[in-house]
Amino acid sequence: MPADGVATLPSDDVLGAPEHELAAATIGKSGGRRTLGLFGQYGLLAVLATIVLAPVALALMQALSPPFDYINAGKPLHPVSVDWKDRTWLTGGAFSVVARTALVALALAWVQLRAAGGTMRHLAPLRAPRRIAAVVVGVVVLAVLVSAIWDSAFDRSGTTGWWWAAAFVGVAATQLIGLGVARPVWRPVLVSSLASVAVVTFATIAFGTIVWSRGWDQGDLGPAMGRSLTITILITVAQVITSILAAYAFAFLRFPGKTLIFAVFMGTLLLPLEVTLLANVQTIRELGWINSNAGLVAPFAATAFGTFLIRQGFRGVPPEIQDATRLDGYGHMAFLWRFAVPLTRPVIASFTVISALGAWNQYLWPQAVIDDSRYQTAQIRLKSIVGTEVANANVGVAAALLVAVPVVLLLIAFQRQIIRGLTAGAVKG
Amino acid sequence: MTDADSGDPMAGALVSSVSTGDNAGAAGILVAERQRRRRRGGPRRRYSAREVGLALLLLTPSLVVFVAFFYRPFLNLLNWGTFESRRNGAFFEDVGLQQYREQLTSDDFRQGLWHSVQFVLYTVPAGMVLGVLLAVAAHRKLKGIKAFQAIFSSTLASSVAVTSVIFFYLFNPVVGLVATDWLNDTSTAMFAVSLSSIWQNMGLAFVIVLAGLQAVPDEVMEAATLDGYGPLRRLLRITLPLISPVLLFLLVVLVIFGLQAFAQVDIITKGGPVSSTETLVFKINRLSRPDNIGIGAVYSVGLFFVTLIVTVAQFVILDRRVHYAR
Repeated sequence: MPADGVATLPSDDVLGAPEHELAAATIGKSGGRRTLGLFGQYGLLAVLATIVLAPVALALMQALSPPFDYINAGKPLHPVSVDWKDRTWLTGGAFSVVARTALVALALAWVQLRAAGGTMRHLAPLRAPRRIAAVVVGVVVLAVLVSAIWDSAFDRSGTTGWWWAAAFVGVAATQLIGLGVARPVWRPVLVSSLASVAVVTFATIAFGTIVWSRGWDQGDLGPAMGRSLTITILITVAQVITSILAAYAFAFLRFPGKTLIFAVFMGTLLLPLEVTLLANVQTIRELGWINSNAGLVAPFAATAFGTFLIRQGFRGVPPEIQDATRLDGYGHMAFLWRFAVPLTRPVIASFTVISALGAWNQYLWPQAVIDDSRYQTAQIRLKSIVGTEVANANVGVAAALLVAVPVVLLLIAFQRQIIRGLTAGAVKG
Repeated sequence: MTDADSGDPMAGALVSSVSTGDNAGAAGILVAERQRRRRRGGPRRRYSAREVGLALLLLTPSLVVFVAFFYRPFLNLLNWGTFESRRNGAFFEDVGLQQYREQLTSDDFRQGLWHSVQFVLYTVPAGMVLGVLLAVAAHRKLKGIKAFQAIFSSTLASSVAVTSVIFFYLFNPVVGLVATDWLNDTSTAMFAVSLSSIWQNMGLAFVIVLAGLQAVPDEVMEAATLDGYGPLRRLLRITLPLISPVLLFLLVVLVIFGLQAFAQVDIITKGGPVSSTETLVFKINRLSRPDNIGIGAVYSVGLFFVTLIVTVAQFVILDRRVHYAR
């Protein structure tokens, strides 16, 4: 890392700068931004994006590759060497998987775009979060339900029609999220229904895989996801409430020993769970909270990070407002919930999302206080799946991707809040 | 949630440095606070009993959690470290500091520490470089740049467990798409495990560095360009020094993450092959049974001091060299 505070002294250095460099800089209009050339800039970005996305793409390929039953038949698991039966269309394998997903997403995006009155040249309406959500959720719903259609068709259980109808309704509903903006009202309903029929039909042929449902069933993800969701909600609510209360005391109340107590709060940042793990497990054991929600939530019911963040937000509340509300006869609690909290909503929203993200992603603590597989959270469940499904890569990877879905949705919906929260502090992701 | 945070001063520094144009929140806070202090500089009021009582009421929930799950356990650990425990879990004998001396110099502890340090050495430099590379590449005015920014930050959506499962299968020598033997080789296993974390940390590093870059005023860069600075020189001599508080923050966070690595190892290698990937936290987690909790306590206290020393050292050594805007 270059060290000296150079920032202020380009003027000293310019005397030493060689002539030709000066010339080059003046010729290149706005300077370095253009030096790479447009092509070079996009090229670099594309290369970097490929690096970032490569593991995800490979994981998706692995998850969507159908032949996990072929292990028994001694056939390799690579999607490129898929048997004819699984070659849904195009040639099967990697390209077909990517193509299928991309085509479904494109189809849904196109529906959204048209309904918003946009054209292929004018893509702006697609940038609305609801429309993006409609496309993404639509693809997910489609993937899940079409798997069920395929599954039932494969074992002739006679429920194919019902699954078909469910997929149709599901996709129509997701499309309505984005189309609801339009008027008159009957149009979005009509458009989404027609679109969902077309897309479901198309995707039933396109998504020829039952891996997702197998990942869900064999990983026994249902109860695990439920438990994860429960503790995520409990932890988030507890953290937000305790942090708001404590932050209020630090920001608006005068009491002796404030600095000391604040130091006690901030001191907990030096004691991460990794350090206190053994003693905390002992505490939970003494309380009889092993394998319980209480045991999973209690140590995280309060956080110094949140208190600090929200206190900073409270300090931005103009003192005039506090004075005025006091004159109007509002008490502390009324001021807190009616003025302080609404005024600091961005900060609190950021913290809420970050807190939920952290709670969902927890690993070390749940694996320490849960020893019965029936009570595992989703993240811990993944470890068991890896243990039992070493050979069936696609089932394991599919389960991992399913566990990531809620976070992906959170990230899409609250991107700005998450980034603001992460850059104001840091949290394990 | 374990916020691997660095404490009050750093957070404050970051808040002041990371304030982007559209997100004036953080900077706004500081300015408002300063004004508030100035205005509130009157004579000191006496404490009102109601206010003190209310404060106590509001602070109690947090304080209960902090005492029960942060301070008391830590004191317990300090204490347990002086007891040798026996098989049935009853504390056996008060051996004083001797157990600390023996265990902290034992081969097992040193091995765990070395593996954690190895993990840090693999993940942190790569994380810093990739973070800066991605952020510099994506910090420009181009059509569609938002899409690239979304892609670069996308690894935020992956938890440690999810990432580990993906890489576990990816590197599997039989079914993996990148079939390698790395995970079965004692000399490469740690590197392979680190790769998963390097990838996972990319999103966080990118987001943090980008926020720092966006806080740099355009005029500074334009002035530097007019003064004849080439792109590389501008990056090394102006951009990086200007965002050095953010880089220090990222460094501290990544180092702490690295020292606390656990889930990656637990899922990908389970400590193997031949315990070549057993990090300190991995060893601590295994020492949780009552019959060896004394040793586990010593390890935990060791981890605490290692983390503390490393973090403080980074601040002491680097903080003076960091350029704060205000």
